[in-house]
Amino acid sequence: MARQRTARQGTAPEGTGREGSAGAVRAGTRNPLVIVALALAVCAAGAAGWGGWLRYEATHDDAAAFARTRDDALAAGEQAVQNMNTLDHRSLEKGLDSWEQSTTGDLHRQLVDGRDAFAEQIAEAKTVSTAEVLSGAVTELDERAGRAGVMVALRVTVTAPKGEPAVKESRLLGSLTRTAGGWKLSALGQAPVGGTGG
Amino acid sequence: MNSTATDAAEVADATDVTDASDPTDATAEKDAPAAPDAPGEPGEPDVSDGVDVSRRRWPRVLGALLAVALIATGGALYAEGRQLRDTPATANLALTDAEATTRVTGDVSSALGKIFSYGPGATAATRAAAKEILAGKALQQYAALFGQVERQSADQKLTLTTEVVRAGVTRLTGSSAHLLVFLDQVYERRGRAPTTASAQLTVVAELREGRWWIVEIGST
Repeated sequence: MARQRTARQGTAPEGTGREGSAGAVRAGTRNPLVIVALALAVCAAGAAGWGGWLRYEATHDDAAAFARTRDDALAAGEQAVQNMNTLDHRSLEKGLDSWEQSTTGDLHRQLVDGRDAFAEQIAEAKTVSTAEVLSGAVTELDERAGRAGVMVALRVTVTAPKGEPAVKESRLLGSLTRTAGGWKLSALGQAPVGGTGG
Repeated sequence: MNSTATDAAEVADATDVTDASDPTDATAEKDAPAAPDAPGEPGEPDVSDGVDVSRRRWPRVLGALLAVALIATGGALYAEGRQLRDTPATANLALTDAEATTRVTGDVSSALGKIFSYGPGATAATRAAAKEILAGKALQQYAALFGQVERQSADQKLTLTTEVVRAGVTRLTGSSAHLLVFLDQVYERRGRAPTTASAQLTVVAELREGRWWIVEIGST
């Protein structure tokens, strides 16, 4: 802007010596300002670019995505294992629905097939089971295949109509499969006792 | 469009007597509207100067706003990126660092097998092994427990074999790990059938001098 101005002034008919020198002074004093402004603009553009790059990298960080998947799988696994060990004979249908919602594949089929017989059993025994997850860990995770293995330490309390509630700690191994509705249990069992180390 | 305005300004500047003594343009711009009652100064040039100032300023204001907007955008994106990346999930290296996970799981599993296995005549070896594996609170816990175990083992000819069934890392950082361990313990008394008990433990391990030490053992 300063340069344009001086050039135009040179050709301006009313341009006098005084005017010219004033223009030179103006250009001289404005230059540092322009440099500062340019530097600021470059810094601003750099900051935006850098922030954008970091943001992009963060979304495309495989390790971060894997870590999130792992935590999702663990949360879903722990919840599913807890659901599968919670059942109240007074609200059997609701409890068994939650069992079915927590599972997929073979385990789901087994539950659906055995539902009526099992419901009868529980209705007769009149038991109330509650479960508390003590600790859990993901032991394997295949993000692409959508499969995960979890181990969960659980405290189960079973209250029968007669007698004291029975508290039992159990250690469970579960397999999770990713479905459209999130991670669901496809297999669940007690960790074998007396087997070989794994 | 700008040039006509500037022209007007220059005419105004040229007619302005005080301008000659003004060393910089910036002060001239500031001073002109601020000194309306200068002697012999008509109102008109002041007005045109004011218009000119605002017109000359708008690219600067726009530029400054743009710069601020860019910096703010950069900052916001950076913060968002950090938030996405530095979460509790990403701080936990369990499984994301497969090699470290496998190593700590293996080390802790074999360590637990060693310190919770003993025979009637071999408790000294177990005790010695424990000093190479345990540190801190775990060592004290173990020492208190093992005193009883040693006497029992000698009295009842008891042999205990511990085997880890499954171990998983719940939390892993560069130098510390929290694990959940399922283990089987087989008790054998001379002349009786062995009994197996299942147990689960939580273990805290720390990486010191290149190897994992168990610093805390707890029941779940």
